[in-house]
Amino acid sequence: MLLYLRLAWRNIWRHRRRTVIVVVAMGLGLAMMMMYDGLMDGFTQAIYGNAIKVLGGNIRVHAAGYAEKADSLPLLPLPNDSAVIQAAQSIPNVVAATRRINTGGLATNSEGAFSVTITGIEPNQEAPISPIAQHVTSGSYLTSNDQDVVLIGKGLADLMNVKVGDKITLVGRSTHQQMRQRSMTVGGIFDIGVPTIEKETVYVSLAEAQSLYDLPNQSTEIVITLEQLGQEPAVMAALTPSLHGDEIESWAQSFPDLQQAISAKNGVMEIFSLIIMLIAGIGVLNLLLMAVYERTREIGLLGAMGMKPRQIMTLFVLEGAMLGLVGIAVGFVLGLIFNGSLGMIGIDYSQFSGISNYLALISGKVYPTLGIENFLNRALPVFIVAILAALYPAREAAQREPAKALHYV
Amino acid sequence: MFQIFKMAYRNLNRNRRRSILSALAVSIGLALLLFIAGIVNGEMQGAMQTTIALQSGDLQVRAASYVEEKSSLKWEDLVANPEDVAAQIKKLPQVTIATPRLFASGIINTSSEAIGVQLYGIDPASPANAPIVQGMIAGSFITPDDQNGILIGQTLAQRLGVKVGNQIDLSANTANGNVNEQTFTVRGIFSTNTPAYDQSTIMMPLAKAQAFTGTQNHASTIFIMLDNRDLSNSVAGALTSPGYQVLTWQTMNDLVLETEQLANGYMVLIYLIVLAITATVIVNTLIMAVYERTREIGIMAAIGMKGRRIMSLFLAEASMLAIAGIAFGVVLGWLICAYFAKVGFYIGNVGTNYQFLLGDRIYAMLTLSDTITLTIIALVITLIASLYPAILAARLEPVEALHAQ
Repeated sequence: MLLYLRLAWRNIWRHRRRTVIVVVAMGLGLAMMMMYDGLMDGFTQAIYGNAIKVLGGNIRVHAAGYAEKADSLPLLPLPNDSAVIQAAQSIPNVVAATRRINTGGLATNSEGAFSVTITGIEPNQEAPISPIAQHVTSGSYLTSNDQDVVLIGKGLADLMNVKVGDKITLVGRSTHQQMRQRSMTVGGIFDIGVPTIEKETVYVSLAEAQSLYDLPNQSTEIVITLEQLGQEPAVMAALTPSLHGDEIESWAQSFPDLQQAISAKNGVMEIFSLIIMLIAGIGVLNLLLMAVYERTREIGLLGAMGMKPRQIMTLFVLEGAMLGLVGIAVGFVLGLIFNGSLGMIGIDYSQFSGISNYLALISGKVYPTLGIENFLNRALPVFIVAILAALYPAREAAQREPAKALHYV
Repeated sequence: MFQIFKMAYRNLNRNRRRSILSALAVSIGLALLLFIAGIVNGEMQGAMQTTIALQSGDLQVRAASYVEEKSSLKWEDLVANPEDVAAQIKKLPQVTIATPRLFASGIINTSSEAIGVQLYGIDPASPANAPIVQGMIAGSFITPDDQNGILIGQTLAQRLGVKVGNQIDLSANTANGNVNEQTFTVRGIFSTNTPAYDQSTIMMPLAKAQAFTGTQNHASTIFIMLDNRDLSNSVAGALTSPGYQVLTWQTMNDLVLETEQLANGYMVLIYLIVLAITATVIVNTLIMAVYERTREIGIMAAIGMKGRRIMSLFLAEASMLAIAGIAFGVVLGWLICAYFAKVGFYIGNVGTNYQFLLGDRIYAMLTLSDTITLTIIALVITLIASLYPAILAARLEPVEALHAQ
């Protein structure tokens, strides 16, 4: 066997030019598929990543019993929020873990009463990760020692006809179901381009929410932001031991609609990728068939010198497998280089479409990920094609009379 | 010239399997491009058609002070005497349908929850309701003088667990800012195959809606359909008059239009990848073919064929491959698109919002201009890809080439 391996290895490099052509074709094909995967993943991040941050983060932790009443936003304080935050921050991939208080309420002024979610946030910790903080268009973002200041969306500001500095009344449900009414100053207005989302939530600082809703130094929710979508299961598993009965859920559980949208899109994209693989597969098949048929004479020679058809086939299959492996390795490296460099600079696809960040939720620039997750699925078919493409013509040639094969031109 | 093509054809025929596989790679590449274009276009056109038919119409005439987000019901924000206004508009030859509609936001109260819904007051006799009439799956359509009957969407009916004949407790804002509440009977359930719409829409006759919301003889909008959508701007110009605002489907659906641009933007990147893979396959196959035929090229050169002619021979072979592959690819792409135009992709409820009504199926839709553009791009890329191998062949030294085994 070792002899065959050595022979096969020598054979591939004896025909250096041919090998290089096949390997380059395989490598480029695989690298392009990696690019495709990375790009698709990057698009998902670009399109849904910010949306998920606005809607409530990759992972959320609540006190036990929250899920049952989630619709009414119960004010159940987390028993050990700082411990959970510490544990979360020590997990790789976690960008931030912050505390929040959510309660249902109304924002009212002379224009009417509008039902909103009142969310208390830690302004400093959320500032670097929150699309809301990055899209405050007038006034300023919250600070941790705000007094009676509220941050509202442009959609709501338009509805209520208020500007920065105007007063609105926030009515919120505190613990024990009492309503707390408070006149607040609009400190800032954010504009993320989607009025329906902007209308739904108003933000105050966590300290203020704690005093308004009877939760001294407590919080009802921990929001964990990750580097990328798709890292949730691993982080959730790592975090579970330190939860002590708290409930944990990922955005996929909180927003099944969004999850469905992404998987529907991925389904369509998967079909496209299968066809792309078919193209690359045909290319590799063609090249390998050419390479083996070209060597019919050589096979005849091996036969004439006494090699059995089975042995000849083993040799060629080994060669095919080696070519496949080398091609896959080259593809992997090329793909990493492509995606790595594109991921750093990002692709500004707004130039193709003429849009300019029309929604803060969707950025005009996409940063492909490395696209490694799917690589095995892509490489395996190429490998199988490589072996089959070597097997079929080698079998045909090996079963010919050596004398005839020798005469083949 | 003709001789070159004849030789090229013979060469291709001599290596039939290789030629077919190379052409096939081009075919599948092009078919995939057409397929992608068809799907994206179908999705966007579908969303646009649905949104226009159910939501925006081709044109809407509203009171100048009406603000859509507020769905205001104050009399000064509404169109007074809407039937008369609609009749006036209907006189324009391009207008096929003009019907008053009243929008109000309402809440359905059940024992366990309160669900926000969009309330439509419609003229039951108007042909503008065709998508709803065709989508009736249970019960019957409402009649103009029905005092307590409503239609609800299928998704909403399932969520509420109601059937035809059941009662629903509905409250809605009124013109003077108060809330009115009444119990209605479900007369019919409709499905437009558009989950975002079916889960939040309730319809009642315009007269009843006006009485319920205290907006006697007023409507939010005049919903207009044209015989030719492209004329929306000129008709809008003709309809402009003081006190009214005229909105075209383009301005009302800017979200759909911008999403379309966004989708096109990233499809370009996918096209580039598909083209690059196809080009890689072609380049490598042709280079391999050049090396395999080194001796043959040497002989041709030795008997006096000029480098330029050898190059043209290889280019001729490549272009014949490309044309055959592309012809087959167009057919394949059309067939695939035709299949998915009929059957569609089931995508379910993808949670789009009210301004972007996407059906639960995507139907492929391939336009002629996409077909032509993509075909030309594929042809050009294949030909460019074959340049290098052809140059390689032309540059071979005759003597050395003859010695190659």
